[in-house]
Amino acid sequence: MNSLADERRDELSELLVRIAAGNQGAFAELYRRTSAKLFGVCLRMLVDHGEAEEVLQEIYTTVWRRAQSFDATRASAITWLMALARNKVIDRLRQRHEHAPSHQVDLDGLVDEQPGPATQAEASQEYRRLQHCLEALEPKQRQSVRAAFFSGATYSELAMRCQVPLGTMKSWIRRGLLQLRTCLDA
Amino acid sequence: MNTPQNHDDSQLRYAEYVLGVLDADARAAVAHELQTSDEAATAVKLWHRRLQPMSEEITPIEPPGRVWTRIQQALRLDTQELARTRPGLWDNLRFWHWLGLGASALAVACLALLFVSMGLRTPSTSPAVPYMASTITHTDGHVGWTATMDIQQARIIVVPVAPASFAQGKAPQLWLVPSGQKPISVGMIAANAPTTLKLDRVLLAQLGPTAALAVSVEPAGGSPTGQPTGPVVATGAIGAAPDSGQPHTASLYVPWRKWWG
Repeated sequence: MNSLADERRDELSELLVRIAAGNQGAFAELYRRTSAKLFGVCLRMLVDHGEAEEVLQEIYTTVWRRAQSFDATRASAITWLMALARNKVIDRLRQRHEHAPSHQVDLDGLVDEQPGPATQAEASQEYRRLQHCLEALEPKQRQSVRAAFFSGATYSELAMRCQVPLGTMKSWIRRGLLQLRTCLDA
Repeated sequence: MNTPQNHDDSQLRYAEYVLGVLDADARAAVAHELQTSDEAATAVKLWHRRLQPMSEEITPIEPPGRVWTRIQQALRLDTQELARTRPGLWDNLRFWHWLGLGASALAVACLALLFVSMGLRTPSTSPAVPYMASTITHTDGHVGWTATMDIQQARIIVVPVAPASFAQGKAPQLWLVPSGQKPISVGMIAANAPTTLKLDRVLLAQLGPTAALAVSVEPAGGSPTGQPTGPVVATGAIGAAPDSGQPHTASLYVPWRKWWG
């Protein structure tokens, strides 16, 4: 199963290399294969459908223009794409920062702790590893790291939504991140 | 001094950047650092690799077909155009990016020299270089974009000199303004990345020393009326026109010659 996943990743890398050379067919193929994944991310984080569409368009126009900066020896294609996508989404969230609704939510209600589809058969080794390390964190740390990842919200927004002091939120997330690194790099 | 504490602090900034918890200013500071520090870029890549597997939990959702249509329109994707594309410097985005970052009279002057020295169109065999150029300057005098027009390949590349920000839902649109005539849309351009646009016959015919380029602020999908609806934020003169009968032999004209002559 892993070899199948690896093969798929290699194919994406190859597509990016061809896109860097200006191959439009490869670009269409990459879009066909990855746009649902990236649109899911846009929609989850931005919520607004129209904005998610706009950002998705921005992501792929950037892919076309910047494919040359993809280095297959240094990153997997999907990591590169997802990093680009998250960056665009978070930049968009920061732009609308001032207008963001600041509804108050309990941390437990903010995070969907239900395992996603990836915890089924197709979960990657990396995902299982990360999941294992997340489970080793204290619940508040785990929940706030996950809430941050899936919402793209700032420290202040997260603190406000969860009704905890800013310092508390920072400390949960920072300790969570450092502990994750220790666990993942072990 | 790289004490463990400092190390953890800087590591945390990169992690926070990837996670998305930094406010706009702190985020911009890290983004800036990434452009100059390999160490920072590597750290950010590692954090992406560590945290991203979480996104496997997000259910894929098929985007509406109109998104792909818009992408194709925005990039002017066209197979015929592709077939005619000449590989080389023109297609090297790193080069254009560099040009954009360092864009100045000097950079474009270098470009002119480079094309000549590369022998793409040596003066001995051809009367002139078939490129034209323009600096598109904001009303406050700052250069916003540089534009280079490749007459033979019928395209224009527009490179931002400094990242520009636009209100949500707004984007810059490039116009060709022939003297005394209505503006003709060249296309939407990116605020933060080089944009290549096709020049159709109508546009090619109007390129000349009396025409200008202008950038207006329009809805993200482009002006709904076909004419600028938002404020014109930047303008630039264009190089000398081709002789009317010889559209392929335009000479390279550097409108800011006064800066370095």
